[in-house]
Amino acid sequence: MINAGPADAVSAAGGASLVLGGVSSGYGAVSIVKGVSLAIRPGESVALLGKNGMGKTTLLKTILGLVALRAGSVAIDGRSVAGLPPAKLVALGVGYAPQEQPLFQDLSIRDNLRLALASDRLLPGALERVFGYFPFLRDRLSQRAGTLSGGEQKMLILARALMLRPRLLLIDEISEGLQPSVVDRIAAALQAERAANGTSLLIVEQNLDFALRVANRWAALKLGEIDDEGSVDGDARARILCHLSV
Amino acid sequence: MIGAKPFAPTRIGTMLLILDILTTAAILFVVAIGLLAVFGVLKIINFAHGAWLTVGAYCAVVTAKLGLNPWAALPLAFAVGAALGGLAELFIIRPLYRRPLDAILATWGLGIVVGQLITLAFGRDVQLTPNLVSGTVDVFGTGYSAYRLVALLAALVVGAAFALVIERTRLGLSARAVIMNETLARSLGLDTARVRLVVFMIGAGLAALAGVLLTPLTSVDPTMGVGWLIGAFMLVMVADTSFLALAAACLVFGAAQVLVSTFVSPVLGGIAVAVLAALVLRISPKGFSRA
Repeated sequence: MINAGPADAVSAAGGASLVLGGVSSGYGAVSIVKGVSLAIRPGESVALLGKNGMGKTTLLKTILGLVALRAGSVAIDGRSVAGLPPAKLVALGVGYAPQEQPLFQDLSIRDNLRLALASDRLLPGALERVFGYFPFLRDRLSQRAGTLSGGEQKMLILARALMLRPRLLLIDEISEGLQPSVVDRIAAALQAERAANGTSLLIVEQNLDFALRVANRWAALKLGEIDDEGSVDGDARARILCHLSV
Repeated sequence: MIGAKPFAPTRIGTMLLILDILTTAAILFVVAIGLLAVFGVLKIINFAHGAWLTVGAYCAVVTAKLGLNPWAALPLAFAVGAALGGLAELFIIRPLYRRPLDAILATWGLGIVVGQLITLAFGRDVQLTPNLVSGTVDVFGTGYSAYRLVALLAALVVGAAFALVIERTRLGLSARAVIMNETLARSLGLDTARVRLVVFMIGAGLAALAGVLLTPLTSVDPTMGVGWLIGAFMLVMVADTSFLALAAACLVFGAAQVLVSTFVSPVLGGIAVAVLAALVLRISPKGFSRA
């Protein structure tokens, strides 16, 4: 189950481990995630691929505690976090970049970023940190988030998830609908953050190029179950394409 | 200024009417603002709001019985309202968080229980409270109730303080985030349960404060909150969760109430708010908040 990742990622300190054992969840009478087992070692970056409606987003929400776990286990750094509210997971260092309704459209960029921190004391330092990745935010702090372009909104979502210097980052389709130059900037920010802090990543993606660039392992989710997984190596692309096209 | 003299009484009459409208709107605003805050953050209508208002009015009664300065009733009512609101949120509302309709029903029951407890303690009779401010002030050459002007000032202070908390504090930002998108607020690690508790406490405290401010204008009895609850409920339905829409709704409905009471009949004036709210919602389901 636990494949060996590249040595460089594992050696970096600061990332958290995530172990999912037979995770099942859903909404009402509908089961979406059906017995997913997946392990991410500290500092590892795993891309979760699959077509629409396969349960990728629900799996991220279940890890964070936004959707109730129905069966199975979720552990971060060996500690069970099943049943804990999202606030507890965020306190453990879990950052989340959601796909649906990801921003407070009517709040300023500054307030959107502020809400990622528990206290305003940490704000100046955290803002400087994310300005390093996305300098355009610096001069536009008082602008309403809803008035940003699609690409700028995606960068704000990632910047907000990075405010806390997360140890495990859950990212939901951050590259969706973006032009290649913005995808490059987002990939560069993620790579820099991992190089600096050894952040562990779980990236839900449909953009295969982006996924292969920032991940060192991949897993394919199909109808709520892990269908296949492997390291990002020479034949990863062909194997994943085979899952995405069926 | 041609012909100013013959029209002067009318002009003064108009000025007084405007003053009546402003003070009526101010009172409606103070009564409804706590209900609006709770509706926005907890997504429930707190039908115990009228009970908190009654509790506040009885704080004024108790203050008088103890021989304290009548103004001491204001902080006392806010504290008692907030404390009772906190207990209600923790033990009644919170367990029903995922069943909003049951939570609304529970607040209705809570309102009845609070009313009965007040009856047990103080009896059914109308209570007398000392005036916070008595007498009249000379406005446009006529005497105008000094207290109504104080009520207007109080509404402005409450409104400004509320706006300051909402716009300038961390708690206000958290409350706005929960109002706009609770799931996103939770996913960022906001302790939404705490935000709900604090907002419910503030809402109950403001209702009790409004109860004290109402004592010079209405009679104090165990059911006094019910009528105000209905009016506040209508205003919040029209204003949705917008603070400015609430202020606008209070002005429009306050004006309707005063004009109908003055020119048609006070009985019809009393139901003007309810009828108008129903009409507004029939025409525009989002009420005043769309503007």
